[in-house]
Amino acid sequence: MTGTDFLALSPIIALAVGASVLLLQIAFLRNLKLTTGITVVTFLACLFFLFYITKLNHQTTPLLLVDPLSTFFSIVFVLCACITTFISYEYLKNRPGRNDEFFLLVVLATMGSIVLTYATHLASFILGLELMGIALYGLIAYPHQDDMSLEAAIKYLVLSGASSAALLFGFALLYAITGSLFFPDLLSGLASPEVAVGPQSPFWARQLILLGSALILAGISFKLSLAPFHMWTPDVYEGSPAPITGFLATISKGAVFAATLRLYVIGEFHNFPTIVTGLTILSIISILVGNLLALRQENIKRLLAYSSIAHFGYLLIALIAAGTLTPNGISAIEPSAYYLAGYIFTTLIATGLIAAISSSNNEENANLSDIAGLFWKNPLLALCLSVSLLSLAGIPLTAGFIGKLYIFQMGVEAGAWLLLSILIIGSGIGIYYYLRLIFSMTTDPSSSRSTLAPALPVTVSLITLTILVLYLGIYPQPLMEYLLWNT
Amino acid sequence: MNPLIIPLSHVLMLAALLFTAGLLGLLIRRNVIFILMSLEVMLNAAALAFVGASAHWGQTDGQIILLLILTIAAAEVAVGLGLVLQIQRRFKTLDLDVVSRMRG
Repeated sequence: MTGTDFLALSPIIALAVGASVLLLQIAFLRNLKLTTGITVVTFLACLFFLFYITKLNHQTTPLLLVDPLSTFFSIVFVLCACITTFISYEYLKNRPGRNDEFFLLVVLATMGSIVLTYATHLASFILGLELMGIALYGLIAYPHQDDMSLEAAIKYLVLSGASSAALLFGFALLYAITGSLFFPDLLSGLASPEVAVGPQSPFWARQLILLGSALILAGISFKLSLAPFHMWTPDVYEGSPAPITGFLATISKGAVFAATLRLYVIGEFHNFPTIVTGLTILSIISILVGNLLALRQENIKRLLAYSSIAHFGYLLIALIAAGTLTPNGISAIEPSAYYLAGYIFTTLIATGLIAAISSSNNEENANLSDIAGLFWKNPLLALCLSVSLLSLAGIPLTAGFIGKLYIFQMGVEAGAWLLLSILIIGSGIGIYYYLRLIFSMTTDPSSSRSTLAPALPVTVSLITLTILVLYLGIYPQPLMEYLLWNT
Repeated sequence: MNPLIIPLSHVLMLAALLFTAGLLGLLIRRNVIFILMSLEVMLNAAALAFVGASAHWGQTDGQIILLLILTIAAAEVAVGLGLVLQIQRRFKTLDLDVVSRMRG
């Protein structure tokens, strides 16, 4: 290990040190305020190191590749984790029992997401994935007096475990053929079939590679909740504590997508017509199922779950179109990174607001009626939620619009007309249920008994996110250039 | 080139059988403890495939992955059993159909 290696790993080390300090602090002195403070300091230290290494491009052991793109993703994730901490403090402070370990799990899950983003080897990939997953099981089941959160946690544990097993089995099959677990060499066996001296003939080698890739695809689709692997999503989102719904919808999914993007591009999966066809089918079903099932939802958490299924369907279009545009598939990176960042900030506003509503009312669930009349009760936060919903719907002047435009443009260049028509139909349906939420915020406030008075840090972070979403929608140039420059 | 006495294809077939058995158990069984056991079988099937492949290539990489999978499976089941205790306490049953009230 050299100095550069340590520098490249410094964000992960910062989180590990923070987690150890939290563990010791909880063992000796239980104090929710102090725990929150240490968590925030840990995330700020991590952010400092991340900003310090934005230009670094360094392969640290075969396990982790620190490059500007994944550093960008990590900055987004840690920023969101920091905001989740503020929201969680609001949520936890009025709850009975001891709640300090919640933040420890948040730090560990964030560390998992960063390891996952930097992974270039199966070992680091699976470690990051499970570090995040196992911490999340604990977080989902945290209010264990609540029946719904227990149900959500066991469902998530069983399905996430099964998808990890499918993922690992798929990688094992690829490893049997190509003899490598390092992502760039993963599929070298297919480029030259004579290398594949696996079980007998090149024909079987090819079949096994396809089977393995299909299992990996299925495993990843579960984690990204693409239809038809989406069944768990609404239940888990509904049953989780509200700040963790936000974590699941933003950081957890975003990190899996960032890792998939890297695996797809440097593993050169786009050279397989079968995999691209599979992705196309997943994308079409996800967009249609996500948007259609969101139409009749009264529960906002479930609505956001279905909307996230649809959004990851849109994101897949960038991956599908990439192979036809550039031979190395690198053109997928810029649009999907932009879209993902916009989606994460936008969704965090919506889930953060729901968390604020459920902690003000001491209820787990936020229904459509709970935001009735929000415009009269708390105009500022209602404005934030409106911007977030408009961005999810893809209305101009928001980050969601630029992201969708980017993906649309890519689809046009690649000539993926079927996908584009599905994208248009999906967005059209989407506008209905996003506007329905905004409409219910303007109705008569007397019909709703819920209150909303979040603490200052939550309000400030929600407003900051809103400004960020608007900024990315009005003046996208700096981020676009940063992404273009570094890919 | 091939230090294995048993051909790799046989190892992979056994692993695939075990994986399918685990998957079927996961889908058919309703008791949470049996579901966790099926999950363990699936993870170990993947581990077996890794060990067979790493012996075929004469590398240690696959065996290291086996150690990782064992650790991960242990952590996962530890959390799972914690949930099982809570479920038994809350619902007085381990039948997942009774626990499941939300319909995705």
